[in-house]
Amino acid sequence: MIGKVDLTQEGIEVKKSACYFCHQNCGVLAYVKDNKVLGIEGDPEFPTNQGGLCCRGNIALKHLDHPDRVNYPLKRVGKKGEGKWQQIPWNQAIQEIAAKLSSIREQFGAEAVATAGGTQRTDDWARRRFMNLFGSPNGFHNSHLCWIPTFMVETAIYGWCPFDLDIGASKCIVLWGQNPGASGMPEAHHVAELQDKGMKVIVIDPRFTESASKADLWLPLRPGSDLALALAWIHVIIYEGLMDQEFVLEYCEGFNELAEHVVDFSPEWAAELTWLTPDQIRAGAYMYANNKPGNIQWGTSVDQIGKPAGATMHARALLRALTGNLDRPGADLLTGPSQDYLTDEELEGNEFLSDEQKAKQIGADKFPMVTWPGYSKISELTKKTWGKAPTAEWMCEAHPPSVFRAIASSDPYPVKALLISATNPLASYGETSVVLEALRKVDFMVACEYWVTPSAMFADYIMPIAGALERPIITNSYGCADFMLTSQRAIQPMYERRNDFNFWRDLGVALGQEANWPWKTVEEAYFSAIAPIGHAVSSFDEFVEKIRFHFPEREYYKYKRQGFATPSGKVELYSTTLKELGLPPLPQYVGPSENEIDNPELAAKFPLVLTTGGGFMPFHHSEHFQIKDMRFLRHSPFMDINPATAKEMGITDGDWVWIETARGRMRQRANLTEAIHPKVIYTQRCWWYPEKDMRDFDLGGELGGALESNGNVLTSTADDYCDPYSGSWANRGLLCRVYKVEEADLKEVM
Amino acid sequence: MARYAMVMDTRHCIGCHSCTIACKIRNELPTYMIYNPVTTDGPHGTFPHLNMLFLPLLCMHCDNSPCVDACPTGASVQTENGIVHVVDKKCVGCLSCIMACPYGARYHNHETGAVNKCNFCLDRVEEGMRPHCVETCHQKARIFGDLDDPNSEVSKLISENRSFQLLQELNTDPCVFYIY
Repeated sequence: MIGKVDLTQEGIEVKKSACYFCHQNCGVLAYVKDNKVLGIEGDPEFPTNQGGLCCRGNIALKHLDHPDRVNYPLKRVGKKGEGKWQQIPWNQAIQEIAAKLSSIREQFGAEAVATAGGTQRTDDWARRRFMNLFGSPNGFHNSHLCWIPTFMVETAIYGWCPFDLDIGASKCIVLWGQNPGASGMPEAHHVAELQDKGMKVIVIDPRFTESASKADLWLPLRPGSDLALALAWIHVIIYEGLMDQEFVLEYCEGFNELAEHVVDFSPEWAAELTWLTPDQIRAGAYMYANNKPGNIQWGTSVDQIGKPAGATMHARALLRALTGNLDRPGADLLTGPSQDYLTDEELEGNEFLSDEQKAKQIGADKFPMVTWPGYSKISELTKKTWGKAPTAEWMCEAHPPSVFRAIASSDPYPVKALLISATNPLASYGETSVVLEALRKVDFMVACEYWVTPSAMFADYIMPIAGALERPIITNSYGCADFMLTSQRAIQPMYERRNDFNFWRDLGVALGQEANWPWKTVEEAYFSAIAPIGHAVSSFDEFVEKIRFHFPEREYYKYKRQGFATPSGKVELYSTTLKELGLPPLPQYVGPSENEIDNPELAAKFPLVLTTGGGFMPFHHSEHFQIKDMRFLRHSPFMDINPATAKEMGITDGDWVWIETARGRMRQRANLTEAIHPKVIYTQRCWWYPEKDMRDFDLGGELGGALESNGNVLTSTADDYCDPYSGSWANRGLLCRVYKVEEADLKEVM
Repeated sequence: MARYAMVMDTRHCIGCHSCTIACKIRNELPTYMIYNPVTTDGPHGTFPHLNMLFLPLLCMHCDNSPCVDACPTGASVQTENGIVHVVDKKCVGCLSCIMACPYGARYHNHETGAVNKCNFCLDRVEEGMRPHCVETCHQKARIFGDLDDPNSEVSKLISENRSFQLLQELNTDPCVFYIY
């Protein structure tokens, strides 16, 4: 029995499907009869979730046929932002969109078409393939905030970036701004299990999170000050003799330069910047360096600190190298790209995009690391050592805020069309006012969506896409790790929904790309991807049913055989790759994008420090606010404030509070908690209210409350707030002030 | 005969609410009926010297169950293996059991008029399956089993760890144990 559903009834088939509500893609067993899913449960044989499902996984059936889902192609018939639609056939929509894109390309060039995707909520490689064939370099994601800059900086230092931890044999794990307890449940489980066996857990986080509450050591640093902490750890590890001398001598270049560079970055120096004591800083460095092998788990907070982000990633990478915690049992593994199956990069068709078009990628002139200049360099190096490159979708993208600005200003050139796929930029991208202006101004917009989000309200066409249980899935970190987990559709997509693969393929075919789209379905494409593994199966579904997982035999110490994928073949503590890209070869100290030391005048006006962007259960990014079976857990948005600070301001628990930065203000409710420093404010991210009037403000609506409680109203994406390496902007470490919402505003809020 | 019980491993519970949602969705409960909320105990202390615990709640399936005693119609019953449940068609919605339960584990279903509660997923347990909240828990923080079997996981966890029951002083003898 699953609830009231009898699983023993005749005609039930069990499909090996997966959750699609975050990138863990937990295994799901779906009980299907007559193309209808009667019930689901976590798959106990799936290696990551082992039968578990989080809140999101559990609501799959509520999501599948929710009354608000987009089920048919919709064409705008009213004004932009008015929400008046006409249902039209899929093929008509494809032909009309193709004609429009074609005319934009003729008049303004292919680069005038930009596309954006959600966080692995889509068939990303297919969008990239379409863009390459169409001729535009201007595809993007929120990847700048999500580990992609980390991947590229680390690859510059030691030739790949650990996606895989050999955590089973680890003695210490650092969760650096990461809270798997509220974001990645399978990971939280593995950490807990190993902690029982003695592994030390260090949590670096301004907040006393779920994960911090279980940690052996919690380091509550000032938001955005991670660089000072990392540099001080390097100082301690070098000058207190904690490094792996043999590894550093034999496999690293530039040690003397680094040692000299960090000589002044003592814990005493970092204390003032991080708000930690020198003892706390040392305790962390000792715990990580003395419990070997150890891991620094990937997390995305450092990608979200803006100006110091790139240098912080560099410094953090150096910690692994100095302790020898690279590609050895129990440490962070450099698997390289999969050698056994086709990676996303091999499906993307990057060879179709001309050098002339690559050079036009927006943001490449300002931020080299995750655009074509840096990607080309990294790709060349990794191909030499590994034979393959990281995926270009994610690792090589236009700079999103610069694209939004280009739409509004035609600088550096006109961008006339924006196609978004399972993303709600108003909620999820930085500096909402910039995004809103772009969405209002863009000539032509298409949204491939599950829902009519506030962003989709500005679309000319909305295309219905297949969601969880309706699409086959390969989970392999885009081929940047060597394993593979596969899952099948439980049912064919309902109504006229299709995979977004079908959207990009159909659009490509309509634009004359047919010869370069050899696969008619996602399953055909995925079958070609898994075929090189060599199992005797004749379809992707058969692979899922019979084999499902691929874990190649683990080879440690690959660097002894092939060197590191860097120009010198060694770990480049002093990075020649970064230097050639015009970036500092050693991590230079830079303060947070806004801080009380460099910006005292701003700090006088905005005396508190803001951190936003962290995940919280049960939502994922900007999703699921319309699912009331989960929303009741967090019916309204909450910000964390220390009781002492709240008292000073006359704020009591549950009050609506304005949070304001130099960009603007938004409101959330006060959660009075000791879990946060008296000078720090945490707000939830990406809130919008599907229950509110979705129309744009000038048409009498509220735009789904997209500006009311959204953390991104507070963030800045100005070039000088961004990381010079990658262009990522700051969600953490900004200056803010808070004050109570007045009675008059309250009515409006409720 | 088995005596079903649940162990909550507070060392592992991370307050993700998966159990709450799994129960509601699978048992098709209206929004206001939450059989197994997860509460947060803390953070206690002053920043940065803090501690915090998550306490998942549900019906305690007490050996000495005041709700069964309070029921005037015989709708609230306890099976031989200890599971306390409500026979819907016998329930007249008098709410006596709601007042009698010290754990707030019973809910008035406004649609059917009956009082409903966690029944350890009785139908599943009878088929040899585990309750939904146990099945869904990533953290393996909920463990279900037979207290009468000294070799069961629940028995071992209780004997090998420090544990407590909620409101022990009321002598309800709950069959939900919290280990820490």
